Amino acid sequence: MNSENLLSIKNLKTHFTVGESVVKAVDGVSFNLEAGKTFAIVGESGSGKSITALSIMGLLPNNLAQTERGEILFDNKNLIDLEENEMRKIRGNRISMIFQEPMTSLNPVYDLSFQISETIILHQKKSKEQARKIAIEMLDLVGIPEPQKRIDSYPHELSGGMRQRAMIAMALSCNPKILIADEPTTALDVTIQAQIIDLMQELQKKLGMSIIFITHDLGVVSEISDHVMVMYLGNVMEIAETSELFNNPLHSYTKSLIDIAPQISDEKREIKVLRGEIPSPTNPPSGCVFRTRCPNPGIGCKGGDIEMGLIEAKPGHWVDRCCYECNQT
Amino acid sequence: MIRVENIKKYFPIKDGFFNNKSGDVKAVENVSFEIPEGEILGLVGESGSGKSTLGRAIIRLIEPTQGNIFYKNKNITKLSDSEMRKLRKDFQIIFQDPYASLDPRKKIYDIISQGLKVHEKMDKNSINQKVEEIIQDVGLQKEHLNRYPHEFSGGQRQRIGIARALVLNPKFIIADEPVSALDVTIQAQILNLILELKKKYSLTILFISHDLSVINQIADRVMVMYLGHIVEVANTSNLFSNPQHPYTRSLIETAPQIFRKNKKKTLLKGDIPSPINPPSGCVFRTRCPNPGIDCKGGNIEMGLIEVEPGHWVDQCCANCN
Repeated sequence: MNSENLLSIKNLKTHFTVGESVVKAVDGVSFNLEAGKTFAIVGESGSGKSITALSIMGLLPNNLAQTERGEILFDNKNLIDLEENEMRKIRGNRISMIFQEPMTSLNPVYDLSFQISETIILHQKKSKEQARKIAIEMLDLVGIPEPQKRIDSYPHELSGGMRQRAMIAMALSCNPKILIADEPTTALDVTIQAQIIDLMQELQKKLGMSIIFITHDLGVVSEISDHVMVMYLGNVMEIAETSELFNNPLHSYTKSLIDIAPQISDEKREIKVLRGEIPSPTNPPSGCVFRTRCPNPGIGCKGGDIEMGLIEAKPGHWVDRCCYECNQT
Repeated sequence: MIRVENIKKYFPIKDGFFNNKSGDVKAVENVSFEIPEGEILGLVGESGSGKSTLGRAIIRLIEPTQGNIFYKNKNITKLSDSEMRKLRKDFQIIFQDPYASLDPRKKIYDIISQGLKVHEKMDKNSINQKVEEIIQDVGLQKEHLNRYPHEFSGGQRQRIGIARALVLNPKFIIADEPVSALDVTIQAQILNLILELKKKYSLTILFISHDLSVINQIADRVMVMYLGHIVEVANTSNLFSNPQHPYTRSLIETAPQIFRKNKKKTLLKGDIPSPINPPSGCVFRTRCPNPGIDCKGGNIEMGLIEVEPGHWVDQCCANCN
């Protein structure tokens, strides 16, 4: 294992039992997060991006979700094995998370002062007054104007962009090592999205945390991340450095995503299409999970003896074995 | 096909015990434009810029406060409800949210055929035939007609929404963010479908979106809207290769791109102001990267001037630059 790796995930499987059937939401995900770097997870809805994040945070209900086997190594501890009270010391303190919808993820009945102080009082053992002072500094840090006044605002008094800034302030208030951002800009207008991305990059430089950035937007990925993981139906299709992935994609799914991503150009381009829809995770295709939508699936891809799994095609560039071998021949 | 002159829409704000009017939400301010037959006109702007209100005001789903709307050179602004109802089948909308825009208790057949039952005096067989034809046009099968909306995925529901809009052979379609709620792969499928059907049914489309890259792919001409005003209009390639308004420029620069040619990014500060109390002078000046001294003045009037053939920009910004 690389010593720089802050977080190391090995063969993570999160399965849900729904009635008789098992939904394999995350089915064997492995990746490493380096210190101070941004790691993007990209995929369509239903690909398992958010469940991966929630598994890391230990936020899934135990009675429904089974995180089978696998390891989430952080600080020489396997987070899967931790007791809830130990996990609580890490969550919000060493690893924190921001969500897509800043309106629903802030509590509408408490003001910002209460909501931001809460974490600080809990994890850093500060008094109420000290915590409020830190909260004001945090609001200032995330670029909210007049933080002394704004600290007493309620979420409904803020615009979408301001709410997301407040969420970031809350998440960073204990100076976490890792920030997990689950589609933090998807609900925002483009101009506000650009502001928030800019802010996150600036804060990362200042505070040195690592970011796991979940998004469905490849354009955003190319702006913010150092490494990218492409997910499809609970499986990892490809992992590489961002520029390597875009300039030299090896998996057919990645290639299609890049091909169809709308891009601004001076002349009109033909709209390219990837047929079909992501299959249901209760009944995934046999063999290679992508074969039902693959532009040119091989005969072998259907076989029951195919196992999904990554191989390192080039140093640091990992791709699903089946597709790589298929594209080679 | 459609000509709009100085259209305005104010929503009154009522307050207090007697519901006294205390102000207006100025959603659309003096907007004029034309859509020639067969064109896809893109309308782009942030939330709160008035795009959807404008779209609905054009077909009088919301009554405009002021201004005239011409459809095939006929002024439809003052038509009575019953006269308007006869025209309704020429205008259809495709909505953003495919989950909210289909009645969950109706079968797909009933959803699609309702328009036919209201507008056309057709017997059952020809209705059946028409519905079956349209469902195949949008890429679904006859068997789907007997199902309910919850049995479909987002992309399929949007196809049903499109089928419902097209079943009456409309002339003019307002597509209000039709792909914003969809995954990228599904988004591309729906955009392609819209282009195909546009050819087949010879449609004229007002395509509303906040996403410049989608507009870039689909529109022939683009209008950029900000706080109720149109700030720039040009054909698509002109607008993207030679944007004149600082708002347009910033939108293009900040749109996330995989392969960006120009690394320069001009971030806009702040949020879009409230349309209840818009800035004096140029409405964009509070967020402009380099506002002039004059932009604040009360004597500034928003309005478009033509900088090159077919390329119109707000006059304040055109002079300022």
